[in-house]
Amino acid sequence: MLAPALLVLGGLFLTGLGLSLLRSFRYIPALGLTDPDLGAYAAVLTAPGFLTSLGLSLWIATASTLIASTLALGAALLLRQTFTGRAIISFLFQINLTIPHVVGAVGILYLVSQSGSFARLAHAGGLIGAPSEFPPLTHDPFAIGIILTYVWKEVPFIGLILLASLQSIRPEHEAAARSLGANRWQVFRHVLLPLLMPALAAASALVFAFAFGAYEIPLILGAHAPEALPVAAWRSFTAIDLATRPQAHAMAIVIALIGAVLLALYARVALRKGGRDAV
Amino acid sequence: MLRSLVVFLLLTTAAAADTADGEALKAMTWDEIVEQARGGTVNWFMWGGADNINAYVSDYVAAVLKRDHDITLNRVPITDAAEVVNLVLTEKEAGITDSGSVDLIWINGENFRSMKQADLAFCGYTDLLPNNALVNWDNPAIANDFGVPVDGCEVPWNTVQFAFAHDSATLPDPPQDMAALIDWIKANPGRFTYPAPPDFTGSVFVRHVFYHAAGGPDALLGPFDQATFDVVAARTWAILNEIEPFLWRGGATYPTTITQLNELFANGEVAFTFNYDPAQFGIAVQAGIYPDTVRSFGLTDGTIGNTNYTLIPFNSPNKAAAMVVQNVLLSGEAQLEKARTEVWGAAPAIEITRTTPEVQAGFAAIKGHPSVVPSEELARAALPELQADWLVAIEEGWKANVGN
Amino acid sequence: MRSNHWQIIGAALLALALILPMVPLAIWSLAHGWRFPDLLPRAWSLKAWDYALSAPSGVLQSLWITIWIALATTALAALVGVPAGRALGLHDFRGKRLVLLLMIAPALIPAIAIAPGLHGVFLRLGLTGGTGGVILAHLIPTLPYMVLIMAAVFARFDTVHEDQARSLGAAPWQVWRHVTLPAIAPGLLTACLFAFLVSWSQYLLTLAVGSGRVQTLPLLLYSFAAAGRNDVTGAIALIYILPGVLVVALTARQVTGRHPALMAGP
Repeated sequence: MLAPALLVLGGLFLTGLGLSLLRSFRYIPALGLTDPDLGAYAAVLTAPGFLTSLGLSLWIATASTLIASTLALGAALLLRQTFTGRAIISFLFQINLTIPHVVGAVGILYLVSQSGSFARLAHAGGLIGAPSEFPPLTHDPFAIGIILTYVWKEVPFIGLILLASLQSIRPEHEAAARSLGANRWQVFRHVLLPLLMPALAAASALVFAFAFGAYEIPLILGAHAPEALPVAAWRSFTAIDLATRPQAHAMAIVIALIGAVLLALYARVALRKGGRDAV
Repeated sequence: MLRSLVVFLLLTTAAAADTADGEALKAMTWDEIVEQARGGTVNWFMWGGADNINAYVSDYVAAVLKRDHDITLNRVPITDAAEVVNLVLTEKEAGITDSGSVDLIWINGENFRSMKQADLAFCGYTDLLPNNALVNWDNPAIANDFGVPVDGCEVPWNTVQFAFAHDSATLPDPPQDMAALIDWIKANPGRFTYPAPPDFTGSVFVRHVFYHAAGGPDALLGPFDQATFDVVAARTWAILNEIEPFLWRGGATYPTTITQLNELFANGEVAFTFNYDPAQFGIAVQAGIYPDTVRSFGLTDGTIGNTNYTLIPFNSPNKAAAMVVQNVLLSGEAQLEKARTEVWGAAPAIEITRTTPEVQAGFAAIKGHPSVVPSEELARAALPELQADWLVAIEEGWKANVGN
Repeated sequence: MRSNHWQIIGAALLALALILPMVPLAIWSLAHGWRFPDLLPRAWSLKAWDYALSAPSGVLQSLWITIWIALATTALAALVGVPAGRALGLHDFRGKRLVLLLMIAPALIPAIAIAPGLHGVFLRLGLTGGTGGVILAHLIPTLPYMVLIMAAVFARFDTVHEDQARSLGAAPWQVWRHVTLPAIAPGLLTACLFAFLVSWSQYLLTLAVGSGRVQTLPLLLYSFAAAGRNDVTGAIALIYILPGVLVVALTARQVTGRHPALMAGP
């Protein structure tokens, strides 16, 4: 039953990764590179911008994941309770899920840039006289615009996974806790949260990995320096000088390695019970 | 005899036979190539960000090809020609030498250099195109693409020359040369910026400052020279670092793309944008992106000009049809059509005097867009482009010394 | 009552935040220029829509291609992923953790790390430049979602019912159709939705494996967004969102978590 899935992932995914690995060792016969070595890694790891790029990407991923999972947890708990408009919110959650990241990034850009809709409202309200007086939320050193986009996109994603997980929690657990005198917070802390934890951890890991490794959004909303690691990788893939291609592959492998570390952490947290509650 | 035999063999193979074998094509006459091209499909990878250029290609050029040559033109929109270089390179690595996915690329010098560096271009056939006679190959700005000899590997399509744009409603008298521009920047904090190299347009702006620091391009032409570079670069970085505090956002960050600068300009955040192709200003005004009062200008100390081209990759399976496309693009009629203000406003890559009287009259009748500085006016002070090695050094140096 | 109040306010804020970034896109698609400090465009125009819906722009053609690829990827992912999910959800075996890790890996290892290598692999297989190859490539990032969700579904699945049906003489097909499928349907629908969406918004893999020749909407959208054509970008973005809205509208009830048992609430 596993064979087809293993064939697709093992055959294609791992081979693709392997080919990148090969090229990162400066083995590209089409460019006349036939003696594998570690030169590309040395060049990438000692490049002046590498550590700041890595730091920026980790910051974006960490901040986005923390904010998005907190908000999503709140939203999921809010959504499962009866009130008017709940159907609309859950519908919007799913709509949001269908909106590609690039579209979201462009929307956020039109909204919060220094000449965006918010700045125009501030101007109309007499708060600012020129775009430059509006706080820079895009192309800024703290990557606020990038984080905003990820939060906007990932709250519904985590939220829906949590909702699906809440579906499987029997209301008797909560009812029992309540009847024993537990207040709302205690029910959440001691009943719901532990039951939601595997799903939350899994969803957060996916979000972290995505925010760490995607290049489209930092490309649209990021400052010129430092650039997020995937942007740096993309730039070296499209650099003028073909001789630097191995470095692009090396950077991709470094990103993949960080993904692999994440995978190992994921395995420790989410798969502890042998995968039964992986999602 | 041998040639007719080759043609005979090619013609007798299945109708679907491709024309990947460039050497065989080179042995043919043009009429034979046109015959080979009939029924073919050309996948033309080109920057797809302007609806009017897309429409020119998909409507006008495609219709001519279908009508006259039974060739289907498939316009493949891309964001960056570098993606196509990667594509062809990966195909070469995988040993795909006669069934590549790209038949034609709209390309500029830096990517052309990459294509040549890895032997990815089909070369030495351009003399076969009848309309090649309209091209003035004695012009070094056409015979060299960013200092790299074209060597029959590309066919020119447009000529462009760098220009600045400003809004005449808010800034009626823009500075006229680089020294005045630098003074203007310092006198108007926050109102100027340029895209961080390696953005194509940001990079050419920095080269203008580089020329200014060198006192003109003369000492910089020819192969890369480290000693000259070091002297001029030090002066360039000093100028750019001196103006940095007066730039948009105090120079703490730079736009990453020309699109971002255009956006800043459209919203009045900065007073200037600039482009390698001044026709883009007219396009933006027509699209409502810029106000009608936008005007453009060159500098009295000159602006950099170059040519852009179309190129057939070495592994294109439809070389004959791609050659026919290139020939059509070079024709006086097609060059005239895209020169029309309402179509594109692109300056021709051919010598107008070599075209038919009708085409010449057509060019004479074109009324330029008021926002686009006439190419003749820019041409009075034209600067040559540097060789690609200089470009790389300047871009790297900017990153290390200015944009850090 | 008070807490209900807060819920409504919270929900309203959430709804606003979710919709807000789409508003400027919608306005842009109808604007003939829209500059600071204008709150609304001074001139309106349908030209972006005219262009986007015209044949030469290729937007509608891209829409069909994108839908076809996403549907085919989803179907294929279900075909491959449901058995895998069943194996992982119901059985314990040696190396299960390793298999699970491999299944999750494509979701955690960024596309930029595998796209260039994958392009090389697909070239050697002769699978580039066509929708078939793109669908196969999209399987890679979609399978983790399909397999993991189905593994979770099957982990809660009781095979007793299948055994009962079999013992009553039902054929394998009948067991699947009348016992298994109804039990896993809600989960399967969720997994299919995820698979569809992952394929739907795929950019890098399509670009690499499709060799630029398979023009899905994200590719088209990006080329206009990168060129600063906000009006056309807005129009394409809205066209891009539409099918997702329809899919969601059709599947909404199953995914929201509004299980009857939970309707009562605390």
